[in-house]
Amino acid sequence: MKRALPFLIIGTVLVIAVVAALYLKRSASTAVAPPPASPASPAIPAAGNGANGPTTGNETAATAEVGATPPHTHGPADAPVTLEEFGDFECPPCGLLHPVLQTMEKEFSGRIRLIFREFPLVPTHVHALAAARSAEAAGLQGKFWEMHDLLYENQKTWHDAFDARPIFEEYATRIGLNIEKFRADSSGEIVAQRIFLDGKRGHAMGVSGTPTVFMNGREVPFESLAPDKLRALIQAQLNAK
Amino acid sequence: MTNPPDTSQPIQSRRRTLLYALAALVSLIGLADAIYLTIEHLSGRSVRCTIVSGCSEVLSSEYATVRGIPLAMIGAAAYFAVFSLAVLAAYSYRWAAKSLTVIVGLMFITTLWLIYLQAFVIKHFCQFCLLSAFVTFILTVLIVISLRRN
Repeated sequence: MKRALPFLIIGTVLVIAVVAALYLKRSASTAVAPPPASPASPAIPAAGNGANGPTTGNETAATAEVGATPPHTHGPADAPVTLEEFGDFECPPCGLLHPVLQTMEKEFSGRIRLIFREFPLVPTHVHALAAARSAEAAGLQGKFWEMHDLLYENQKTWHDAFDARPIFEEYATRIGLNIEKFRADSSGEIVAQRIFLDGKRGHAMGVSGTPTVFMNGREVPFESLAPDKLRALIQAQLNAK
Repeated sequence: MTNPPDTSQPIQSRRRTLLYALAALVSLIGLADAIYLTIEHLSGRSVRCTIVSGCSEVLSSEYATVRGIPLAMIGAAAYFAVFSLAVLAAYSYRWAAKSLTVIVGLMFITTLWLIYLQAFVIKHFCQFCLLSAFVTFILTVLIVISLRRN
């Protein structure tokens, strides 16, 4: 019996470790389990700010917090599927999600609408707020998505910079913005207010990290943001319509 | 004239047993940490950026996986190996004690490399990775002490 004791201890710990891993895995997936796509799932209303759409547990709070108005949208207003992303331009996973969403937009052209909400994680990401301000300032000149794309596509370049603002100004010049207005707007109250309102909406909807994506008001689990899984979710949502 | 009985041997043996038992207990902390990190990695929760964690940068980096296998999962296997070998070494299996020294040595070198990556390449620290590094340092100290006693 004494000879078997160490092996018994090792076996017991192995069993406990496997059970704990399975339990954690299960709780991790049930915490953000994807809702079944059903015809009963109401969509975010096509136009405007998406204020009446979310059907999560935070519905009331989300309805109260409409976010920046009008929101930055891409795609037809009456698209059956709306993806609302809460993103941080300096967050690497958001940068990885960017081409995925672009691909989805191409594949489901005309049937999908994207909404981008600012959720800069300060102080984790030192340039995140400046990047959000730059994107919003570009938005005031009608070039939000151009700046949005440049920021994500060149994330690694400005992420390592000591001062990212000259780089953002170079992007602004590149997309043809009035640089004086861009500078003034970047530090202006309108831009600050938009970021604040988007953040407020995010908090009301239970967003604690980025990227967080809502599909027709329901949170998409992070692991489902991989191209194949997201494609399947969108397709299921379209089939349910 | 007879030599006095050597009483130091059983005491040293008992101390070694205690050191290995302690190493087994400490490795359990590393095992729990690595399992948690593996689940977080696989579910994608820690890979998401949050206000308090640098784990998203670390876990979404190219260094977080080895040929598609999460590094945390390899860490969990390593900690389980350390636990098993430490238990066997505490029960006087000599080969287990030798294997334990080798595996902890490898883990120590790997840990130094991972800390370098976090500090100078990724430029973010993940608190769970730092806990794992701390556990490996403690294990290294325990093994070095046990070697000195040998």
